[in-house]
Formats: sequence, C-alpha cells, structure tokens
Amino acid sequence: MAEEEGTRNIDNGRYSTQQQQQQQEEEEGGGEREGDQKVVKFLDSVDSYLTLVDSLSSTLRQGWLELAGARHSMGASRISSALFDLKHHCAATTLQITEDGVDSTMKQPNFTLCKWVSPDNRNCSSDKAKFDEDESLQRTSTKLQLRYRGTSEIQEKRPESNGSALTIDYQIQKERSKSLSMFGTLVSPKLRAGQLSFEMALDTLVEIANMRSSILSAYDQVRNDMESTRG
Amino acid sequence: MANKAQIRSRNSALIAMIADEDTVTGFLLAGVGNVDLRRKTNYLIVDSKTSVKQIEDAFKEFTTREDIAIVMISQFVANMIRFLVDSYNKPVPAILEIPSKDHPYDPTHDSVLSRVKYLFSAESVASGRR
Repeated sequence: MAEEEGTRNIDNGRYSTQQQQQQQEEEEGGGEREGDQKVVKFLDSVDSYLTLVDSLSSTLRQGWLELAGARHSMGASRISSALFDLKHHCAATTLQITEDGVDSTMKQPNFTLCKWVSPDNRNCSSDKAKFDEDESLQRTSTKLQLRYRGTSEIQEKRPESNGSALTIDYQIQKERSKSLSMFGTLVSPKLRAGQLSFEMALDTLVEIANMRSSILSAYDQVRNDMESTRG
Repeated sequence: MANKAQIRSRNSALIAMIADEDTVTGFLLAGVGNVDLRRKTNYLIVDSKTSVKQIEDAFKEFTTREDIAIVMISQFVANMIRFLVDSYNKPVPAILEIPSKDHPYDPTHDSVLSRVKYLFSAESVASGRR
C-alpha cells in the first residue's frame, strides 16, 4: 500500500513538472510570437513608408510638370518667388496633431490635414467649433477634389446640398483663388492643375508623417523587447 | 527615446518647408504659406546662392518653433546639413525628406530609415532573441 502511494506521488510530481515545463514553453512561444508580430509591424510600416514616398515622388513630378507648363504659357516672370505674398497672413491649410498611445509609455503623434480653412473663420470660432468645422471642411474638400478631377458626370450626380455646404464650397473656392491670386487674376489652367497636384502631394505627405510615427514607435517596441530579453 | 517625449495636441499647426523654388511655389499654392506679424515665413527657398549657414539656421528655427508640426526638406538640402538632420530625434515637428526636381529620393540617405536600419539586419534581431 505504502509503495503504491509513493509511486503515485512520484507520478504526480512528474506530471506537475511536465505541466510547468509546457506552460513555460507556451509562454516563451507566446512572447516570441508577440515579438515576431512587432517585427512584422515594423517591416510593414517601413514598406508602406517607402511606397508612400514613391507615390509622393510621382505626384510631385506631375506638379512640377504642370508648373513648368504654366510658366511656359504665362511667362517666367509671372511665376516666380519674387511675387510671393510677404504680407502678414495665416496658412489656409494646417495640421491637427493628436496623440495615439500604443501603451502608457509610448505615445505617437498623429497628424490630420485641415485643408482650406479660412483664417477669418478660425479666429472667430471656439476650439470645439473649429474642430467640427475642420472635420466637415476636410470631408467637403475631398469631395470637391473628386469633382475637380472627375468629369461633369460626377457633378451631375451631386445630391442637393444644403446652404452651409454651399457656403463651405464657396469658401474653399475663395481660398484656392486667393492662393492663386499671387500670380495674377487670370492664371493658366495648368497652374490650377498644378495646385491640385500639390494638394494631393500634401495628403500623401501627411500619410508619410503618420507612417514615420508608426515606424519609430514599432522600432522602439522591438528594441525594448530585445533589451528586456538580453537583460 | 524620442517617442516618450511630451506631444502636445494642437488644432492648427503649420507645415514648414526648406526646398527649391518650384517645390515651395507648389506647396504655397496648396495653401501652406504663413507669414507672421514679424514677416517671418514658414519656408526657405534654397538656390545656388543660399549658404549652408542659412539652411542650418532655418532648420534650427523650424524645429524649435512650437507652431510647426512638419518640416519638409528636400533631400539634397538635407544632405548639406546631414549632421543636424540625423541628430534630430523629436517626434514633433516631424522631419520629412522629400525628392526634388533634379535629385531623386534615395532611401539610403533618409534620416528615419538610417535610425532604424539596425533592425534590417536579420542577425541583429536574432541575436536579441538568443
């Protein structure tokens, strides 16, 4: 009897050690998997970064070509840095920065583009109203961009817009024209096309900035993991 | 690390530029141009007459201004002040190297990729695991 009990205890002991080992292996495997995920996330961010930079290069090339076309048709003296507006004015296109927390210690900035926000409106409104306005403007400006680039068919499909949307459309047009007006009242259509290309480049640029934040955050996580493993 | 630094949430931050004339002209058309009351601009046009000192000063000014969120710099200009660009490690303003008309983008020079290239080597990641 005593012998049987002793054997049972030894078996139990072996079983619990095996269980512990299995648990340890599972934990290590889980940690490794998590580490792998972080490395994959990092490499993915780098890949997206390079793709976005490539896309920026082509958009900018398009913009430079249109600018050169406009300079050819309007004359070199009419598109020059000597004509830049050096009087006090606020930027019509700005950025909104928010904080994205990966965890409590790692925060990464997130950039959002606010296109063609009239500086006059910005000064009058409160912060909350400004945020709402920026959001709606952003949505409208994207729609407007599509209309510009697209055909008249898209224009016809536009649903009946209310008064405020029309006002915002008008405001955006006004800001765009104001920006073009430094080179004269009547400008080449190529200059307008160039303006749109650079607006698109700006969108890509903000995406690149966000991807940069993502790369650096993923890099920090992987490095911290490596250091903790070594330590 | 840089990401642990305080990031302030802002609603209307600016985009600064250090680039050639055509690039600056294009982005000014896109509405990023800002001139403050002291007539200070948020851009620097780099041409053959611009000295390295001027570029350095502009870079230092733009990276210390609180109202700037992104500084875009043509890569050929960044190469002229590489020591400054590579030593910059704050999350905001973010430094973005962009291509220019005469100089295509080279990822091997990019400051962000240089900072993280240590992890591109499979050996360095594997040695960390061992």
